[in-house]
Amino acid sequence: MRAGAVVRALLVAIVGLLGPAIPVSAQPAGTLVVGLVAEPVNLDPAQVTDLNSNRVGRRIAETLVTFPDESTQVVPGLAESWTISKDGLRYTFKLRRGITFHDGTPFNADAVKFSIERQIDPEHPANKLGKYPFANYFFGNVKAVETVDPATVEFVLKEPRASFLTILTAAAASIVSPAAVKKLGADYALQPVGTGPFKYASWDRGQRVVLEKNPSYWRYPVKVDRVVYRPIVEGQARLTELLTGSLDLIVDVPPDFVAQVEQSPKATLLKQVGAHVWYLGINNQKKPFDDKRVRQALNYAVNKEAIVRDVLKGTGSLSRGPVLPATWGADAGLKPYPYEPERARKLLAEAGYPSGFSTTLWVPESGSGMQSPVPMSTVIQSNLKAVGIPVALQTMEWGAYLAKLRTKEQELFALSWMAGNEDPDMVMYPLLHSSQWTPNGPNRALYKNERFDELLHQARLTTDQGKRAALYREAQRILVDDPPWIFIDHEIQTAAHAKRVQGLKLHPSFDLRVETISLK
Amino acid sequence: MRRYVVRRLLLLVPVLLGVSVIIFMVLHLAPGDPAEIMLGSQATQADLNRLRAELGLTEPLYVQYIHWLGLVARGDLGRSIWMKRPVLTEVLGRFKATLVLTGAALVLSTAGGLALGILSAVRPNSLLDRLSAVASLFGASMPVFWLGIVLMVIFALWLGWLPASGMFAPYGGGDLRDLLAHLALPAVTLAAASVTIIARLTRSTMLETLGQDYIRTARAKGVVERAVVLRHGLKNALIPIVTVVGVQAGYLLGGAVLTETVFAWPGVGTLMVQGILARDFPLVQGCVLVVALSFVVINLIVDLLYAWLDPRIRYE
Repeated sequence: MRAGAVVRALLVAIVGLLGPAIPVSAQPAGTLVVGLVAEPVNLDPAQVTDLNSNRVGRRIAETLVTFPDESTQVVPGLAESWTISKDGLRYTFKLRRGITFHDGTPFNADAVKFSIERQIDPEHPANKLGKYPFANYFFGNVKAVETVDPATVEFVLKEPRASFLTILTAAAASIVSPAAVKKLGADYALQPVGTGPFKYASWDRGQRVVLEKNPSYWRYPVKVDRVVYRPIVEGQARLTELLTGSLDLIVDVPPDFVAQVEQSPKATLLKQVGAHVWYLGINNQKKPFDDKRVRQALNYAVNKEAIVRDVLKGTGSLSRGPVLPATWGADAGLKPYPYEPERARKLLAEAGYPSGFSTTLWVPESGSGMQSPVPMSTVIQSNLKAVGIPVALQTMEWGAYLAKLRTKEQELFALSWMAGNEDPDMVMYPLLHSSQWTPNGPNRALYKNERFDELLHQARLTTDQGKRAALYREAQRILVDDPPWIFIDHEIQTAAHAKRVQGLKLHPSFDLRVETISLK
Repeated sequence: MRRYVVRRLLLLVPVLLGVSVIIFMVLHLAPGDPAEIMLGSQATQADLNRLRAELGLTEPLYVQYIHWLGLVARGDLGRSIWMKRPVLTEVLGRFKATLVLTGAALVLSTAGGLALGILSAVRPNSLLDRLSAVASLFGASMPVFWLGIVLMVIFALWLGWLPASGMFAPYGGGDLRDLLAHLALPAVTLAAASVTIIARLTRSTMLETLGQDYIRTARAKGVVERAVVLRHGLKNALIPIVTVVGVQAGYLLGGAVLTETVFAWPGVGTLMVQGILARDFPLVQGCVLVVALSFVVINLIVDLLYAWLDPRIRYE
């Protein structure tokens, strides 16, 4: 029985090898292991456009102004103070002194100038080292970046724009080490150097990105020694790894698992409404949607509570407009459209459609910030059918979907916007100002309301926040009366962590600030 | 024989050229392009035009293709549009992980399939045979993502025996034991469908072979049953089985995409999916070339195995 003996020996060997591996080992004391939904694409803050890359990259490089840990109000970052000229065209920043990049070179006005100009000046020596997708969106209005002295830098704008400080909180405005960019060239995107709480350590493709703590971080001593980020696409796998102790923290708990995590003694669920809006766009220029009564009817017809409760399992907050509730620009008096199908039918009849009409709804299968697009749209489809509007649902892959929306042939379409900050200008202007009609901008609803346009324009020229808020509140009231979309929800982001993780709060900007964590 | 192998290897060139043209066309025909996806929903037409020009996407298709071909001829697959990495090192690094997974699944499915098939053929219509038929139906009809998640819940979440995802422990680990522990669930998941196909085919060819006259002769000579089945039966039944195992090897290589996604296995499959979603043309081209190359090599190996198994087969 030679063969039998060999097989037996093999089995024993396999069991012997596997056996001791069975207790899944815990991490070393100071190491935090984080499960991300996808692998970071690259880590140059000016070259990435996705959330996962930014959640890692923002640990490494920082911005002149930033958000505190619990809100999206602008506070000093690498700049300790700033002044804005009367005409709103010059922003002068006093930089903090004594800060060095992870490579030991000093942070100063030249570094600020370099970080921004490499993106916007085609003649800049570092411009060809990368592609800067948001350069124009964020910095198209910047005429010049001038260094006054090593600790003072001045941004000169082409025209006043009150949200410019908020723009400087964007990842693309991160200050990078010019020495590192010059040394690494195009590879800078793979091993970035900044001033942040963690520095880049290693990257095993498809497996993990490792950051080590910056022992001389200027803001405070970082308590975690090392962060390991692992990409795990499958929700069940992420959850299993958390519950078995191989991960300390996971983001984006799928709605169906929320209840399970809440009941687990091993994990803590975190929730935080994010600066995001999910909407069902309406082509305002196409019949019958050019009649605002029809658009109002659509808003009355859709049961948002049911979508948030049953599809999103509570991971959404009802939307009453594009602006995030409870922020300085929001109108606290606004109420979400109630679910009143009777009223919807009445409005449709008044608009001349007593027996409804049929239409199509375009939906992406997935996409950044899209939550659960297909199930959400299916509920909307059945709600609209109930008031006499049969809807044909067409699902598309994200890339194809974006291309299709450029055709202006859409009737209804599902889309979301992740501003990542609370400035109303950064959500209302691009999505709803008539100068931003697709394909020139992201106004894919082709919305146009003259008074609304005027209010938004005025607000851009006004630097006083109180006065801006008043203009935005009026603009939001217009959107309720003359709705551009069906308002659905603002995403409540979720994360879950092991009990040994202390002190983490989710940030409304969707950032994941692991530097605030201490490990028990 | 050597001339045959050289000729087959030379044939690789037109095959890979054809594959690359088709992939290039398909990717460019699909709506959406890398600029669109990089810029996302915030894109303006001006930004799109600028980025497209920078990425060289405004050139006519054939110019883009020839440019890429020029790079390949110099042994450079270009840089990924999206990840900014050199494609060649990226793809080769990931391909190793896929080979490990596919190899393990192939060993499992071949060994399991042969064993089940032989046992069923030796005792047709026995309880084992029937059970194996039911199991085959089950294995062949379970989608990989479902089976993978079920196995993960049982063996990782409930029993805590095996890790749920990845190739190595996130920190520490990195040795063979660590690899095998991480490999177990994905390899079994990936092998599940193939094992049943190999088992059913082995059963039917073995049944046919065992009915041949020379088997009766062998038994009449008094050869022990084990030798009758394995040496006289199996060896003669192997040609169709090897064919199917070869096909399965290709299938496993392709099917690894889903398994890799479920178990966060850092293989070329997950990379290719990301690449396609991002319309990262150089990256997808690189992945497809490597996979196509391995398909062709597997086919060649299968053909050479025929000659080894059956001395009557000669290649000239």
